[in-house]
Amino acid sequence: MTPKVSEVLAELAGLIARNALPDVDPADRASALGLSALLLGVAAQEWDRAAARLVEENTAVRALLSDAPAALGEGELAERLWVLSAGRDEDLRISALEEANATLRAALIELHVAVEGRGQPVARALDAAIWAELVASTERRQLAGAPV
Amino acid sequence: MSNSLDQRLAAYIAGRIDGARDVAVSDLSRISGGASRETYRFLLSWTDAAGETRTRKLILRRDPPASLIDTERRIEFEAYRAFHGSAVPVPEMLWLEEASEALDHPFFIAEEIAGFQAGPALLWAEPYVGTLGELGRRKWTILGEIAKADPAALGLMQVMEPVEADACWRRELDYWEGVIDEDAVKPLPVIRAAIRWLRANPPAPAQKLSVVHGDYRTGNFLYDETGAIHAVLDWEMAHLGDPLEDLGWSFNPVWSFGRGVPGGLLPREEAIAAWEAASGLTADPADLHWWELFNCVKGQAIWVSSARAWIDGGNREPIMVFPSWALQNAQDRATLQVMGRL
Repeated sequence: MTPKVSEVLAELAGLIARNALPDVDPADRASALGLSALLLGVAAQEWDRAAARLVEENTAVRALLSDAPAALGEGELAERLWVLSAGRDEDLRISALEEANATLRAALIELHVAVEGRGQPVARALDAAIWAELVASTERRQLAGAPV
Repeated sequence: MSNSLDQRLAAYIAGRIDGARDVAVSDLSRISGGASRETYRFLLSWTDAAGETRTRKLILRRDPPASLIDTERRIEFEAYRAFHGSAVPVPEMLWLEEASEALDHPFFIAEEIAGFQAGPALLWAEPYVGTLGELGRRKWTILGEIAKADPAALGLMQVMEPVEADACWRRELDYWEGVIDEDAVKPLPVIRAAIRWLRANPPAPAQKLSVVHGDYRTGNFLYDETGAIHAVLDWEMAHLGDPLEDLGWSFNPVWSFGRGVPGGLLPREEAIAAWEAASGLTADPADLHWWELFNCVKGQAIWVSSARAWIDGGNREPIMVFPSWALQNAQDRATLQVMGRL
């Protein structure tokens, strides 16, 4: 999630402490604490699942990138994506997993652009697989109570 | 003299009411929820030239240090002023101040339309839940009135940047893609795919050049328990463009509040019928689909901008985090829905 959960929690800690002081306007306090409560609820949902979600997603995207040479043929892009596909999530801190995730999803966009509109069956199959992953990644991130 | 906001506000207004004495501001309180402007309500009292004591409930809208969206307050002010007294209910605008000396940031002051609700959360329970159909018909009828209005007759062609009918879509898409390019912290593969589709499948030229409210949704108007609408608010993204743009934004699934119908109010076909009847325009299904998908891109651009404003430190209010955390995934889901992928 953006901004990072850890940074938002640190900011909320300060906000709640300031609102614990007695001279805060009640309306301002109600607004600050109400929104803080909503954000803490979202953070609670993300806390338990974040690492598992990121590892699952990074693995899925690497699998798609590994198909780049077959779909695109030889070339700089296919080579670069194939090299990225060989990575592994060895550092399981959320920040490290998110950094890898951002790199991989940026590469996925490049791959998607490259296979879109290509007529060969292998490219069409990869395009469909990318869409399936985009749907799956969106489902992985869904929050309880979301409007959609 | 004290530097408190109420006294500075009173001093500013005192210089703008002829013959006024004893100008005072009381009951100044911030209204929560505004992410792009700081909004306050207050009671103004003064003694007029005839010696009579007068009072009026007013609203102050002041720019924050950093905003969820970058907008021109003069455009917002003039849009309100243009529609005041028309079939589109809006509060009366009083003063616009674009300099920062008086209250540290630019601001405007308007009448408060008191006694009505704006928040969507109240709508799903009594006494409002039985009026959703009527409220929905009013909502899209008023949007049709906005679409029907002549921007030149309203005096808005001098305030808002004109655009050719066949260039409306490109100008808006270029702008919001640029916002994403500038503000997105992480890659957005769903939204990037949507942008590519939009560029490859442009809509027909606009039927007419209209005023586009820019944020016409449940939550941005004042309603009562009979289903009436007393004011359309939040014109800060108003511009000239294709009238289908507003209709598409009002159909953005994130504004359904999980209730499965546009705005959480009315079946889609009924909303379109109300809009077409009021505007005299046609909502071509293919063109409307384009503008619905575009508005998913625009929505995501706004949510990533709020995150950027928080990350860069310009505005550390929790309201800047909430849209990003709560709506980025929902907007991706909405995008996939509109593209027929989910």
